[in-house]
Amino acid sequence: MRKLMFFIPFVLFIAMSVFLFSGLFSDPRQHGSALLQRDLPAFALPELMTGQRKTAEDLRGQPYLLNVWGTWCPTCNAELGFLTELRQQGVRIIGLYYVQPLDAAFGESFNLTALQDDVRRKLAEQGDPYQFNLLDEKRSLIFDLGVTGAPETFLIDQHGKIRAHHVGDINPQNWPALAAQYQALLTETAATTKEAADAK
Amino acid sequence: MQSKFSGRWLTPLHSALLLCAGLLLCTGLSLPSQAAEELLQFQSAQQQALFRELTAELRCPKCQNQNIADSNAVVAVDMRQKTYQLVQQGQNKQQVLDYMKQRYGEFVHYQPPVQWSTIWLWLLPAALLTSMFVFMFRKDKTNAAPQLQQPQLDSELQAIIDEVSAPGSTQSPPQGRSNPS
Repeated sequence: MRKLMFFIPFVLFIAMSVFLFSGLFSDPRQHGSALLQRDLPAFALPELMTGQRKTAEDLRGQPYLLNVWGTWCPTCNAELGFLTELRQQGVRIIGLYYVQPLDAAFGESFNLTALQDDVRRKLAEQGDPYQFNLLDEKRSLIFDLGVTGAPETFLIDQHGKIRAHHVGDINPQNWPALAAQYQALLTETAATTKEAADAK
Repeated sequence: MQSKFSGRWLTPLHSALLLCAGLLLCTGLSLPSQAAEELLQFQSAQQQALFRELTAELRCPKCQNQNIADSNAVVAVDMRQKTYQLVQQGQNKQQVLDYMKQRYGEFVHYQPPVQWSTIWLWLLPAALLTSMFVFMFRKDKTNAAPQLQQPQLDSELQAIIDEVSAPGSTQSPPQGRSNPS
């Protein structure tokens, strides 16, 4: 019994060390998403270049990546090249443009043409991975999605359900995990369309 | 002669001055956020109190360990604004918290929920305190016990005393003491 007591501090020390050591490798930005397995929140946002209103229903049918980005965000610009490669491989990527708050006190006001020019220039320079971009001027969908900053990427399935929430950039190191999920969704979609065709 | 500023006695004074300057700086820095909040108009003092309480309890999801009242990250500004709107609409504390948790998860509230994964936060301190008390009382007992009954040691000591103080003892008394006889 006394011997056992003698080992308790040692065991506690080891447990504490393991706990703290594992903490060294955890990413403080990853604290789980509240939106996984839930439907994409309802929205009606204009397409950035044409101004055409799009809703969550319009985007359904195929799985896609919803990428939150802005020309003001360096990490987003850095990932444009890799995302463009993914688009060339057939990945469907839709952009959700993050407009930073404007301070009227400093004479800042929203200027759509300037923004469109800026986006065109940036995409011509770095590559254009997007089918189209949604413009979220008031950050309403961005807020409903629990976005904490840019870039963030959501994987949405063909029914409009959120299947993954990735914080930070997508790069060749972290893409394989998302790619596997995306591929699984593609085969799922193919199976359901085939079923529907067979039923006819 | 020593210069006026090199004396050792000035060091505590210097540190006190530095502390005062630091405190002034801190209060000065916290002024802008208060000023920004004063621009918001509330329908009642209760709503204002609720807004203050919520912005202090809601955690900024972007920055490490700041509440949304303290942070000026875009997401914190948006959350403050949303909190203000919801409070203005007459929603109560729980409704606003649920609204935020639905979007940003449990992480966003500084009060963690009681779950199997978080139960340790309450159990561990209680267990630690209990084990400390148990340890303390047990130690008390084990320390007290030998003092009460040591018949063996007592008789041994008595034997030595008898031997030394016995008249005609062959043994010499301990060094450094004068012989009473």
